[in-house]
Amino acid sequence: MATFESKHKYAHLQEDVIKYFLILAATISILTTFGILFSILFEAIEFFKLKSFVYFFSGTEWTPGVENSQFGALPIFAGTFMITAIAMAVALPIGLGSAIYMSEYSTPNARNVLKPLLEILAGIPTVVYGFFAAITVAPFIVKVATTVGIEASFNSALASGVVMGIMIIPYISSLSDDVISAVPDSLRKGSLALGMTKAETIMDIVIPSALPGIISATLLGISKALGETMIVVMAAGLRPNLSWNILEDMTTVTVRIVDALTGDQAFNSPATLSAFALGLALFVVTLILNVVSVRMIQKFKEKYKMSSL
Amino acid sequence: MAKNKVKIAVKDLNLWYGDKHALHGLNIELYKNKITALIGPSGCGKSTFLRCLNRMNDLITSVRVEGEVVIDGKNIYDKDVDEVSVRKRIGMVFQQPNPFPKSIYENVAYAPLKHGIVKKGSGCDELVEQSLRSAGIWNEVKDILKEPGTGLSGGQQQRLCIARTIAVKPDVILMDEPTSALDPISTEKIEALMLELKKEYTIITVTHNMQQAARIADMTAFFHLGDLIEYDETEKIFINPTQKKTEDYITGRFG
Amino acid sequence: MDKNNIFYDPSLKRRHLKSKLFKYFTLFSLVVSLVFLAIFLLDMVLKGSSAVQQTYIQVEVSYNQESIDSYRDAVAKKYLNLLSRAALREIPNQIQKNPSLMGTKQVLWMLADDQVDMYMKEYYYKIDEKDMKTLEELVKNGMVDKKFNTIFFTHGDSKSPEYSGILSAFIGTILTLAVTMLVAFPIGVATAVYLEEFSKQNWWSEFLEININNLAAIPSILFGLLGLAIYINVLGLPRSSALVGGLTLALMTLPIIVVSSRAALRSVPASIRQAGYALGLTKVQVVKDHVIPLAFPGIMTGNIIGLAHAMGETAPLIIVGMIAFIPDSPTSVMEAATVMPAQLFTWAGMPERAYIERTAAGILVLLSLLISLNSLAVYLRKKFEVKW
Repeated sequence: MATFESKHKYAHLQEDVIKYFLILAATISILTTFGILFSILFEAIEFFKLKSFVYFFSGTEWTPGVENSQFGALPIFAGTFMITAIAMAVALPIGLGSAIYMSEYSTPNARNVLKPLLEILAGIPTVVYGFFAAITVAPFIVKVATTVGIEASFNSALASGVVMGIMIIPYISSLSDDVISAVPDSLRKGSLALGMTKAETIMDIVIPSALPGIISATLLGISKALGETMIVVMAAGLRPNLSWNILEDMTTVTVRIVDALTGDQAFNSPATLSAFALGLALFVVTLILNVVSVRMIQKFKEKYKMSSL
Repeated sequence: MAKNKVKIAVKDLNLWYGDKHALHGLNIELYKNKITALIGPSGCGKSTFLRCLNRMNDLITSVRVEGEVVIDGKNIYDKDVDEVSVRKRIGMVFQQPNPFPKSIYENVAYAPLKHGIVKKGSGCDELVEQSLRSAGIWNEVKDILKEPGTGLSGGQQQRLCIARTIAVKPDVILMDEPTSALDPISTEKIEALMLELKKEYTIITVTHNMQQAARIADMTAFFHLGDLIEYDETEKIFINPTQKKTEDYITGRFG
Repeated sequence: MDKNNIFYDPSLKRRHLKSKLFKYFTLFSLVVSLVFLAIFLLDMVLKGSSAVQQTYIQVEVSYNQESIDSYRDAVAKKYLNLLSRAALREIPNQIQKNPSLMGTKQVLWMLADDQVDMYMKEYYYKIDEKDMKTLEELVKNGMVDKKFNTIFFTHGDSKSPEYSGILSAFIGTILTLAVTMLVAFPIGVATAVYLEEFSKQNWWSEFLEININNLAAIPSILFGLLGLAIYINVLGLPRSSALVGGLTLALMTLPIIVVSSRAALRSVPASIRQAGYALGLTKVQVVKDHVIPLAFPGIMTGNIIGLAHAMGETAPLIIVGMIAFIPDSPTSVMEAATVMPAQLFTWAGMPERAYIERTAAGILVLLSLLISLNSLAVYLRKKFEVKW
């Protein structure tokens, strides 16, 4: 009986050790998030000790590296916004259209082939997209623009935006396809039984029902576009450019982060630290987008009592 | 019997799900302004038959239909008939209430607006009110028309779906076990509504509930394994059926 | 139209047309996506296929003291500009390795300069007139030939495009991913086991869950900022090393592993657990001996997918300095290294035309590896799939 007792105690000890190890492991993911937040935050604070916070968000001059350097990130934010907008203008209609075709028109067998095929697009490394944008798409755009008599830059926002859009298509299409397929069939039947055509049923009943999920997918796509680095580093410009002309070169937050951290500036110089200020802005915006996106998809799940998506 | 006007005449109707022969050469005449109940054990083909009447079976790719369903003198399976316009004239109410995730008002107004029956504005408002009144739900929802239809109780949702169907101004309303998902009080309301509605519409309903058929139906058709076994006035079917199978089913010997 | 057709409704014609157009629009979007994919792959194959071969020139090489002093004297002067500098520079090394060569003259196929290679592959090239004449003569005499490009697979980076290869980047990728998986696999699986099997439904587990979800959505470049600020600046780990790169990627891969491992654990039915408890096993025993083995194929699949993600990642590695010029393969995780995508990024930015085909070829190699990994994951999932 005594041995039984001690064994029991030993087993409990072992169990506890394993449990604490598991808890420790789970904590690492939290440490990572806070690690990212604080490492960016502290360096960003260093930056704002040296340079104006207000000017950073409102100024239009970005001149690091020179004497009396200026850090007005507005043109950088504008460039990021423009390229993201172009990407979403490509990805949203094509991604949503593809999702609708897969879930509403194609046979289940075809869908099982088409969906993974589209998801290949999401598996291609971004450096490969960057190469494609810089070597194939950008020169093509210049060529087309020249033949119609417009001037276009080899680093045009259009080239990186379009290629980024292609990259984002599967992020939109996969999640949208999931939520559209999850809309109960009884709603489709109800609409068709009222004498609605298939397209009317999809547009007026199915899509509005799946809307929270589609919005969620869109926000996720925007977040991807804002944070995408390689495509813009390789195909977009370095010049902060406040312009509406998508054929001009523009720069983005991620491009300037890479540029600031791969140069040979001292780490504590404002030019290098500016990367962390930009990083902080990127972190906050993508975090908000993600939180809202998760809320939306939860709302959708609750509405249709779905256990998993 | 002589004063019954034939609304729908079904002639030699056969239906296959892929290789499975599900309806075997049905012949039946359904009468105007009557409630016809389709009864029979599960899988007997009564719901399949119901869906043949507004061509909902067309949505299933493996289904093949032969024979005629003549409504007001026109076979709805003729090549020049558009199934969308068939569904417009032959409304349908489902087993599970399925209001659209829109407001109560929009649920009713959606189809008439699309069909061009009314234009946005007072005409539409009027139609919505009239439909909701006919469905016996106006007093319960008149103050919450902007609220989502999915927020109503099950019985209210089903009456909303009926209102939605009426709003398109059909001739016939098909009901596929409209009360099987509802509580007894809601069921009673729907049954009363059906009796009211038959004055204007021809109603064909599938039901599992024999008492319900006996309570509300003028005519009853008994299906078994894809065959129409017996079709007659409800009273006759329940009191004095001619077929042994019908009697066995009604007395609860199988089902 | 038949006048007796009571179902005739002229307004439907327009609605049906609209319906059809809508269907075509959705089909069109799908086709456009797939055409993008096809164009893209075709473009890479077209650009990369010429790198399969590399141009060589047959010349006489003299191995003597002068060649050791200056590799420029190893071949006839007129050929000097047509041959690869980097390859010629190897001649003194060859003598050192094999002293019996000393004093001999050998007719060899020597690696040609990248411009000659571009000329032979009919791309844009820049060769001056005098050299062009020599080259044309050589071509006429059959002394110039394209051979299978072994250099690409056996060498590291080089300042001469014809002498550069993917090997050191490949080794760097393996070292980096080894670090990544060594860290991410145990932590990721342990986190999943904790969340799925041990944690109670409380604010802490909810917080963990939200956190992992957010971690997956953080742009990859920000992980690079973390790596730079913590691993390099605070912990003082060597910049550009596979260790820092691997640790950075490990944090990025973590959420993918956690999410897929949880799904695998969740797919093990509760009856297995109940059977274990009924036998008097403790929770740890049930999880360790019964649940994890059953979920293992699913966990592996998730890990492979995470690995494939990490393999294609570039941005955070650039931030931690993994774009250094690495001619020789690294031998430890502390040495400066580069990875395949970073190597491709470097090549893509080079001015020489010859690097373009190498970038495209490298992309094809990288994509093949990724496709293999993903196919392996699909295969594992199919093979061990259990229907409960």
